[in-house]
Amino acid sequence: MGTTEPTVTGSLRDRPGLVIASLFGALLLVDLVAKLVGIELGPVGGSLSTGRLGSNLWNGVVIGLVIGLAGIGLSMTYSILNFANFSHGDLVSLGAFTGWGVAFVVAAGSDIPIRALLTVRAAGNATPGDIGAHVLSTPGAILVGLVVAFVVTALVALGLDRAFYKPMRDRSGISLLIASIGVALVVRYLIQFVYGSGRRGVTASVDASNVAFGPLGLSVNAHQLTLSVAAIALMFATHFMLQHTKLGTAMRAMADNKDLALITGIPAERVVTATWLIGGGLAGASGYLYVLLRGTIQFDFGWLLLLLIFAAVILGGIGSVYGAIAGGLVIGIVFTTSTIWIPSDFNEAAAFAVMILVLLFRPEGIFGGVSTA
Amino acid sequence: MSTDGGAGGADRDDAGTDATGIDTDTDATGVDTDTDAGTNTDTDATGVDTDTDAGTRHTLGGDAILRIRGLDAGYGDLQILSDVDLDVADGEYVTIVGPNGAGKSTVMKTVFGLTTYMDGSVEFEGAEIQGNAPEEIIRRGVGFVPQTDNVFPGLSVRENLEMGAYILDSVPEDRIEEIYGRFPILREREGQKAGTLSGGQQQMVAMGRALMLDPDLLLLDEPSAGLAPDLVSDMFDRIDRINDSGTAILMVEQNAKEALRRCDRGYVLVDGENRYTDRGDVLLGDDDVRQDFLGG
Repeated sequence: MGTTEPTVTGSLRDRPGLVIASLFGALLLVDLVAKLVGIELGPVGGSLSTGRLGSNLWNGVVIGLVIGLAGIGLSMTYSILNFANFSHGDLVSLGAFTGWGVAFVVAAGSDIPIRALLTVRAAGNATPGDIGAHVLSTPGAILVGLVVAFVVTALVALGLDRAFYKPMRDRSGISLLIASIGVALVVRYLIQFVYGSGRRGVTASVDASNVAFGPLGLSVNAHQLTLSVAAIALMFATHFMLQHTKLGTAMRAMADNKDLALITGIPAERVVTATWLIGGGLAGASGYLYVLLRGTIQFDFGWLLLLLIFAAVILGGIGSVYGAIAGGLVIGIVFTTSTIWIPSDFNEAAAFAVMILVLLFRPEGIFGGVSTA
Repeated sequence: MSTDGGAGGADRDDAGTDATGIDTDTDATGVDTDTDAGTNTDTDATGVDTDTDAGTRHTLGGDAILRIRGLDAGYGDLQILSDVDLDVADGEYVTIVGPNGAGKSTVMKTVFGLTTYMDGSVEFEGAEIQGNAPEEIIRRGVGFVPQTDNVFPGLSVRENLEMGAYILDSVPEDRIEEIYGRFPILREREGQKAGTLSGGQQQMVAMGRALMLDPDLLLLDEPSAGLAPDLVSDMFDRIDRINDSGTAILMVEQNAKEALRRCDRGYVLVDGENRYTDRGDVLLGDDDVRQDFLGG
C-alpha cells in the first residue's frame, strides 16, 4: 500500500519526457487562459477573443471529421487486408472530382456545356457563380453529388483491388504498400489528365449563409454544418453496419483473426469486397465534403491530405475504426488551434508533433489494442 | 479476480456433478464398444489378436464416417505425414497421441484443408474431401477447434457463436440455446468480448462456435492446452458429453494418458507415420506404448 507513492514518482523519474511534455502542455493552457483574459505573459503574449478560440475549435472539429471519415477506410484496409494503402488519398480526390462534376450538372442551367460541368470547370469559362452550386440554393445537387462521390469511388476502389491487389493477396504488407504507391500515381495522374491540373473554385457564395451562435461569438457556415451532419451520419451508418449486421460482424471477425475466420467458413473475398466498397466510398465522400469546406479543388489535394489521414489513423491506433475518428478529431483540432501560437504555415508540423508525443507515451495509439475492425 | 473466482467455482460445481457422469460414461463406452461389436468386429478382433501388444491395424470396416488412406501431406515442400491411415466411426471418440512433432495436428489440419495435400485420400461420409476448401468441409458437417487463437477476441460471446453459423442464412437460435445449455457460463457472458474471458471460458466459446452447425465430426486440437490444471478434467468431461450426444470426435492431446482413458480408440503417431492403433485402454495398458510415449 505504501508503495503507491514511490511508484508514481519512480515512474515519473523513468519518463522525464512525460514530465516535460505535461509541463509544456500546462504552460500552453495557462498561456491560453491568460490570452483569453487579456494578460500579457512574456514574449508569446497577446490577447485572444473567445470568438477566435471558438472558431478555431469548430474549424478543427470540421476538418477532423473529414480526416476521420477518410481514415475509416484506411484503417479498414489496414486491419482486414494487412497493408497501408497509399492510394487512399487519391481516392479522396477522385470522389471530390466525380461528385462535384455530377453536382454541377444537376445544379447548373442548360446554357453551360455539360463537358465543362462534368470536368469541374476544366473546360469552358463558367464561374462558380454561374453554376451556383451551394447547399442553400441547390441542396438536391449537393446531395446527388455526395451519393455519386461515394458510389463511384467505391466501385473504382473495388476495380483497383481486382486489377492490382487481388493478384497479390498472399504477398506481404510491404509489397502491397509499394504497389499501392504505384496505384496512387496512376489514379492521381489519370485525375490530372481528365480534370486538368489547375486549382479552381467550386462552390458558389450565397448571402446570409452563416448561422451565428451569439453567446459563443461563433459563426457557423452552412457548408460546415452540412459537412458535419453528413460526416457524422456516415460514421453512424458505418458503426451500425459494423456492430449490428452479419457482414459487419464478419468484417470485425476477419480483422481479429484471419485464420480462424477461414476455418469458421466466413467467405474472405466477400468481406474484402465489402471492405473496399465501404472504405473507398467513405474516402470519396470525405473528399467531396472537404471541397464543400474548402471551396476549391485541385488534382492532388487528397494526396496532400493523406499524410494527415495517416497521422490520425496512427494516432487513434491503426486498425481501429473508432480510433481513426478520434485521431481525426485530435489532429483536426491541433491543426487549427496551434495557429494561436504559431504561424499557420507550421500547423501541420504541430499536428505531427502531437502525434509523435502521443505515440511516445502510448505506442499502440489511443484505441490501440481494442480491435474493432 | 472475483468474477474469475466465481466462474471457477461454477466450473468446479459442474465438475462435481460430472464426477458421477464420468463413471457412467466410461461404463457406457464399454457398453458402446460391445454393442457396436456387431459392426466393429474388425477392431475388436484386432484388439483380441494382439492382446499383449497394442494393435497395428489402423482401419475399421465399412462404417467409418472419416476414412483417411495413405495420406501424405505437409506445408509447402515440407512433407510431415507419410502414408497415414486413420478411421473414425459414426459417433466414435478417437484420439491421436504421440511425441512432439509427430504430425498429430497436421492430420487434423489436413482433414480441414489447411495444409498442402500431397497424396492419398480423405473421405468424409463417403465423399472424397482432400483438397477441398474449409468452407466446403464445414458444410459437409465437420467442425474444427484449433489449439490457440480459437476465438475472435473483439467479438462478443454471442457474436462468436453467430459467426460459427455464418454459412446459414439466419442465426439458428435453437443451436445457440443448446450451446448455452451445454456451457451455461456463456449465457451469462453473452455480451462480453471473448478476449476478456478466462482460458477455460474461451475454450468453451471455441467449442460452441464449432458446434453451431451441429457437426457429425468435431476436430479438437489440444483442448486442454493452456488450461489451469483443475479445469482440465472438467474440459474432458464436457468433451465426453459432446460425444455422448452423438458427435464423433477426433482429438489431438498432449495429455495422452487422460485422453486414452477417455476415448474409444487411440492412434499413436510417430514421425508422421502410424505406429499403434487400438482401444484407448489397451494402448494405455501396453508396455511399449507406456514406455515410449506415456513416460512409463
